Amino acid sequence: MTTATVAAAPAVRAERAPGIKPRGWIGFLFIAPNLLGVLAFTLIPLVSVIALAFTDWNLVSGVGGITFTGLDNFVAIARDPGFWNAVGLTLLYVGVSVPLTVVLGLALGIALNRPLPGRSILRAIFFLPYIVNVVAIGMTWLMLMNPKAGLVNQVLEVFGIQPGWFASSNWALPALIVMAVWGGVGYCSLIYLSALQDAPKQLYEAADIDGAGAWAKFRTITWPSLLPTTVFLLVTLIIGASQGFGLIALITSGGPGDSTTTISYYMYQTGFQFYRFGYASAIGLVTFAGVLALTLLTWRAQRGRALND
Amino acid sequence: MRRKGFSRREVLAGLGAVGAAAVVPGCSGGGGGKSSVLQVWGGVPAASGPQAVVEAFEKKFPQYKVNYTRFVNDERGNLKLDTALQGGLDIDVYFTYAQANLALRAGSGLAADLTERVRADPDLQVFLDTDQPRAYLDNGRVKALATAREPFFVLFNEKLRQQAGVELPQSWTIEDYRATAKRLTTHSTIGAYTIPDLARIALGPNYWYDGDKSNFGNPHFEQGFRLGREMIAEGSVFPWSEVLSRHLNAYQQNSFLKAEFHLWSTAPFNLRYLYDAKKYPHDFKVSFAPPPTVDGNDWNGGAYSNFVMVNPKSPKADAAWEFVKFWLTEGSAPMLKGGKLPTLGNVTDDQVITGMLGKEPDKFFDVDSFNKVVLTKEQKLATDTRLTGFPEISLAYNQQRDLCWLGEKDPAPAIDEVRRLADAAIARNERSSE
Repeated sequence: MTTATVAAAPAVRAERAPGIKPRGWIGFLFIAPNLLGVLAFTLIPLVSVIALAFTDWNLVSGVGGITFTGLDNFVAIARDPGFWNAVGLTLLYVGVSVPLTVVLGLALGIALNRPLPGRSILRAIFFLPYIVNVVAIGMTWLMLMNPKAGLVNQVLEVFGIQPGWFASSNWALPALIVMAVWGGVGYCSLIYLSALQDAPKQLYEAADIDGAGAWAKFRTITWPSLLPTTVFLLVTLIIGASQGFGLIALITSGGPGDSTTTISYYMYQTGFQFYRFGYASAIGLVTFAGVLALTLLTWRAQRGRALND
Repeated sequence: MRRKGFSRREVLAGLGAVGAAAVVPGCSGGGGGKSSVLQVWGGVPAASGPQAVVEAFEKKFPQYKVNYTRFVNDERGNLKLDTALQGGLDIDVYFTYAQANLALRAGSGLAADLTERVRADPDLQVFLDTDQPRAYLDNGRVKALATAREPFFVLFNEKLRQQAGVELPQSWTIEDYRATAKRLTTHSTIGAYTIPDLARIALGPNYWYDGDKSNFGNPHFEQGFRLGREMIAEGSVFPWSEVLSRHLNAYQQNSFLKAEFHLWSTAPFNLRYLYDAKKYPHDFKVSFAPPPTVDGNDWNGGAYSNFVMVNPKSPKADAAWEFVKFWLTEGSAPMLKGGKLPTLGNVTDDQVITGMLGKEPDKFFDVDSFNKVVLTKEQKLATDTRLTGFPEISLAYNQQRDLCWLGEKDPAPAIDEVRRLADAAIARNERSSE
C-alpha cells in the first residue's frame, strides 16, 4: 500500500497547490494503526453482522456452514415471544432510567453550580460512579441490595419495605434502573454544569431587574439555554441504556426467569449461548433500527421545541 | 524545492507507525503458525494435574514436546476455544466439558473420527460400549472420549452429624434425605444446600427427551420442583433468594466450609477445597453417603465427562493420538489431584485416596465412607448422548426452577413452561439440522 502511494505521488504533484508538501503518506502511516483498528473491530464486524442477519450460522461450522435463509430470521423475530419480552423490558428500562437520570442530573448540576463549600470535591464525588469499573459497581450493589443482610434493606426495614431486589422477578429490573441512574447522574450533572456556566448572565440580570422569581428564571432562561445539552444527553443516554449489558451479565444473567433479559442480553444469549449467530445478527439489525428511530424521534421532538422557544 | 531524504523525526515516526501497525494484528495472539510442539487445550489448571501428565508423557516419548494451554471452562472460554479452532490456530488436542459444546463441535467438523483407532486398541474397547457410553458418537462414529468419571455423592459435615446424632446413610431414599436435612437444620445451620436431581436419578441418561419431543411431562420433573420448593419453605434447604443474590452456585464450597449448610450433594471436583486447610480453613471432617434413590431407581446423578477430542486439521494426528491414549491409560493418575477419576479405572485405591483426598486423608475425611461410596460401590453413571437444543432447554429449566424456588410460580405451571420451551427448541433444532 505504501509503495503504491509513493509511486503515485509524481502524478498528483502537478495538481497540488503550491506550498503543500507531498508527505501525505506519512500522515497515513500515523493513522494506520487506528485505521486498522477501525477496519478490524468496527467496519468488518458491521458488514459481517448485516450479511449474517440473512443466514443461519453457528460459528463453529465455519464459513462453509453459512446457509442463506433470506428474510427467515426477520419473520422468526416477529413471532418470537422472547424477543418481544426483551423489547418490552428494554423500553421500560430506557423509559424509566433515562428521564430519571436527566432530571436528577439537572437538579444536581444546578445545585453544584451554586457557591457551596467543598463544591469541587462534591463534583468529583458525584462524577466518580461514571468512571468506576462496572464489575466493582456490580459487586458493591450486589452486597448493598442483598435482601437479607444488605444495607439498603436494613434502611428500608424502617418503612416496612423489604424488596427481594436481584432475587425477585418484580424487583430485579427496578434494582438495575437504580444502579443505572446512580451511575449516570454524576455524568449528566457535569455536562449540565458546563452548560449552566455558559448561560447568558445578562438575561438573569435583566430578569432580576424585572423582579422575576427563581422558577420564572428557570423556565424562561435556564431551561431554553439547556435544551441542546438535554437533547445531547437524551440521545447518548437512550443509546447507552438500549445497549445496557455489563451489569445484567454480571449480576442477574437475565433473571430471575427472564425478568432482566433486555434486548442486548437476549442477543448475547442467542448468539453466544445458543450459537445462533445469524438470528442474533438479525436481532442486532432490528435493534439498531429501533434505537435509531427512538433517537431521531427524541431529537426531532426536542429540536421542534427549541425552535418554538 | 522538494527536500531530499527524510528528517530523523520523520524516519522515527514512520518506523513507529509501521511497528504499531504490525502489532495490532498480532494482538489476536496465540501464534498462527503451526509449530512442531503438540498443542493441548484444557480447562483444568496446569498445576492441578495436566502439567504432571505432560511431563510424564514427554519423559516416555522424548521425541514429542507438549504445550498445555488452559482455557477457562465458561461461555467466554469455550467461545475462545471455538474461534481458535475455527480460525485455524495450532491446536492438536482439546477438551470439552459441557454437553452443548460436545454436540456442536462433533457435529461441525471440529473433531477427528477416532473410531478406527479405538477399535484397533484392545485397552480402549470399553469406549465402544453404548449401554453406558464413555464416548460421544456422532452418526455412529467416535468423536470424543471421556477421560473422567464423576460420580455424585452427598457429603456430611461430620461434626454437625455427630452433634445431631444422625446415622451416616449407606443407602437412603429421597424421603430419608428430606427427613435428614430437616433434622440437621438448626438456628445457625441449614440442612442441605439443595436437592439432588430427582428426575435424573429416576430416569437416567437422555432424561430430557422422549422421541421427538421433550420429556418434561414425566411427573418426576414436577416432583423435583415441588420437593425443592417445599424444603425451602420448611427451611431445610438454602433459601433460593440467598443462592441467587449471593451467586452461591459458583461458591457453594465457601458456605459448606463455614458450616452454613450441612448436606452437600456434589462431585469429586469439589473435594480439592476440603483438604487444603491453609487456603480453605475448617475444623471438621467430611464423610460420604451415596445419592438417595427415587421411587426405587438409583441412577447416579454423575456422568462420564471431560471429553478429549483431536482436531481433524492437526498435522500431528499420530502424536495427538499417542498423547490422548497416554492420558486415558498410564498417564491418568496425576489428574486425581483435580478430582478426575480415570474413566478406565487404571489406578489403585491408594492412588485415588491420596490423589483426591490430599496428603493427610484421615485428617479431613472419613476415609472408610469414601471407600464404600466412591471406590467399592458400582455407580450407574448417566451420560447423555442426545443433546438437541441442549443450551436452550438448560436455560429454560434453570429460569423456571428459579421462579418456582423463589416462590413466584407453582411447580406445575413452571414445568409446563419448561416443556413448552423445550419442545419448541427441539423442533427448531431438528428443522435446522435437516
